[in-house]
Amino acid sequence: MKYGLISLGAALLSVVLPAASPALAQSAAGDVTIVLGEGVDLMEPCMSTRSNIGRILLQNINETLTELDITGDKGLMPRLAESWDQQNDKTWRFHLRKNIKFSDGSDFNAEAVKYSIDRAMSPKLACETPRYFGSSKITATVVDPSTVDVTAEPGQAILPLLMSIVTIVPANTPMEFTRNPVGTGPYKMAAWNVGQNIVLQRRDDYWGDKPDVAKATYVFRSDPAVAAAMVETGEADIAPSISATDATNSKLDHAYPNSEVFYARIDQGKPPLQDKRVREALNLAIDRNAFVGTLVPAETTLATAMVPPSTLGFNKDVKPWPFDPDKAKQLIAAAKADGVPVDSKITLVGRTNLFPNVLEVMEAIQGMLKDVGLNVDLQMYEVAEFERIYTKPYSPDRTAQLVTAQHDNARGDPVFSMFFKYHTNGPQSGFSDPKVDKMIEDATAATGDDRAKKWSDLIAYLNDEIVPDILLFNQVSFARISERVTFKPTIATNGQLQLSQIGFK
Amino acid sequence: MRKLIFGRVVSSLFSLIALVVAVFFLSRLTGDPAALFLPREATQEMLDNFRRLHGLNDPLIVQFGRYLWDLVHLDFGESLRQARPAIDVVLEGFTWTFQLAVITITLVTVTAIVIGSIAAFRPGGVFDRFTSVVSLIGASAPDFWVAIVAIVVFAVKLAWLPTSGTGSFAHWILPVAVLFIRPFGLILQVVRGSMIQCFGSLYVKTARAKGVGNASIIFVHTLRNAMLPVITVIGDQAAAMLNGAVIVETIFGFPGIGKLMIDSILQRDFNVVLAAIMVTALAIFVMNTLIDLAYAILDPRVRT
Repeated sequence: MKYGLISLGAALLSVVLPAASPALAQSAAGDVTIVLGEGVDLMEPCMSTRSNIGRILLQNINETLTELDITGDKGLMPRLAESWDQQNDKTWRFHLRKNIKFSDGSDFNAEAVKYSIDRAMSPKLACETPRYFGSSKITATVVDPSTVDVTAEPGQAILPLLMSIVTIVPANTPMEFTRNPVGTGPYKMAAWNVGQNIVLQRRDDYWGDKPDVAKATYVFRSDPAVAAAMVETGEADIAPSISATDATNSKLDHAYPNSEVFYARIDQGKPPLQDKRVREALNLAIDRNAFVGTLVPAETTLATAMVPPSTLGFNKDVKPWPFDPDKAKQLIAAAKADGVPVDSKITLVGRTNLFPNVLEVMEAIQGMLKDVGLNVDLQMYEVAEFERIYTKPYSPDRTAQLVTAQHDNARGDPVFSMFFKYHTNGPQSGFSDPKVDKMIEDATAATGDDRAKKWSDLIAYLNDEIVPDILLFNQVSFARISERVTFKPTIATNGQLQLSQIGFK
Repeated sequence: MRKLIFGRVVSSLFSLIALVVAVFFLSRLTGDPAALFLPREATQEMLDNFRRLHGLNDPLIVQFGRYLWDLVHLDFGESLRQARPAIDVVLEGFTWTFQLAVITITLVTVTAIVIGSIAAFRPGGVFDRFTSVVSLIGASAPDFWVAIVAIVVFAVKLAWLPTSGTGSFAHWILPVAVLFIRPFGLILQVVRGSMIQCFGSLYVKTARAKGVGNASIIFVHTLRNAMLPVITVIGDQAAAMLNGAVIVETIFGFPGIGKLMIDSILQRDFNVVLAAIMVTALAIFVMNTLIDLAYAILDPRVRT
């Protein structure tokens, strides 16, 4: 009987294991499997600023006129446009590459560029693109088949940079969200098995260099532990976002800056946070270095601005606030002596599951603030409730708040952050200062080196004179990459994953 | 029998209509889909445009009337997130869930009945005690923990099975095994209890006195009578599975209806939520009718 059962078990295994083997096999030479954390609802080029769509589409299927070298020092590079020049305050002229075809065989030309811009901005679609252009109305005019003028009204000083997010589609693309993207990029979509995978196939007729990866299969696992396990077992080659707690394999796991800044907005609408000394004390009370390598990954760096260091105009002279609890206590005492109600309750607001150990981080911050004598209460919220607190209109009945959040700006220019966080009319600003408003408006309108200097001055002014927030960390993400491929995750990996940057060992 | 089915259809239809009305209005209370679909920094113009495109500016009662009119024409509307018919999205997910539920519940039913019947034959015996302990552990182990441990052991350490996903027979083994454990423990206990009760009844004693064999007593005389409470529990477990197995679907990357429903609720994709609820409600109605028919076959008193 005993041996009978073992024989039965062996027989069952012999049935199961041959079926299992192909599934466990590694990808064929030239093929890669990428495991993403979030599935895609759409494969719409004008939505590729969403990280889950951008990681598949951007520069793989659909290309842009310009491309930002966010990790290197090349700045804004040509992609589908060979060059561009400014015609006047409002209009830029783009000179397009010639003899390029979309994957459906149609020609890439000025008509396609005009249609792509019109489509991305059209009220008939709900594309994400218009938000990057603010209140500017964008019109494109065909000059000749390889030249197009783009006009912004009012003018946009960074129009060439903004063109790095406008994906180019053929002029016959329907004026509705598509699930079958067509582009000029090195890959075309070969299959979309909804809920299971998306397959991209290399094009033989691509205008640029031929990438090493012939076929890329994207699969989706919302549990990062499973994504990490898939790379470990050889089922996948790249998992661009695994949890820090799963990054336990030093051979395969790579930390990279993810362009998120973790900070606490200081609500200057309520006492005692209207007093600058109290805001300075908040910054001096926190021992930022104590978190690094303990509650947050060792690769984390200290933030000194709302934007990551790779951004235009980042001010390297602004240093992280030192940990000086004695000075913090002195500042609070001085404020108290002047009648500031420093004993008033301050609510430290956090978001659950924002990143691993977020609760412990919040409790430690609360403890440090209490140590210098502040009356701090901690409240953690789910995302929907948190958004209500984070974005205007703020409740008039609130207590003084320190709202911790992550802000992501991988677009290379502070304009995508500064208005939202610091302008009087910014939907998430915690104060109102006419000089800051003017500085933001001036920097937004400036170009070139002058623009960089104006942003740099603003960052210093905010840090020295306003103290609008407690800037904490430049966050890092972890990627697990199999030993058969070469790929270096960078700050750009959060929003795009160019297959042409993947090689084989 | 026809009267029984007709009664079921009428009562289920009323329940379905009430469900559609409740879900339509309650889901609208969760908030504005535009706020979730568009990014945080979206301009007011973008928000207004999105609401106009999807008819969200109209009064709620107008939206409801339009929805009902479309529904009468078997149009379940478009998915806000996926820009394609909501019913297509739902049926894709339901097909996976249906297969998972049928495979799992069949395996559970067969094994729980066989093992439960054998365990009940000698209550307190070694086999009974062993199965009781195992089934209680199974019924109390959290799904997510079992799933992760199963992946670590069978996929990462032993490399026998794929971690997750779909595509081959092997991909089904871990999700089915994880889903199997909890209902197996529960149904086994019900089978055991029901069988023990039947073994003590007079007709079994009479059969034994007549010299009928053990196998015949279990599978011919007792099982049929012991099945009535078991069928109720199986129906309950199957209904839960048809609603989706969110944890198993999430961990194993299985594209079923459970995760789809949760995601759609969180993203306020109302048409998908409504279509999913209608499809699962219909499936549960069909299954309940089948259970009623099973009762009628097993128990002649129900037929009259």
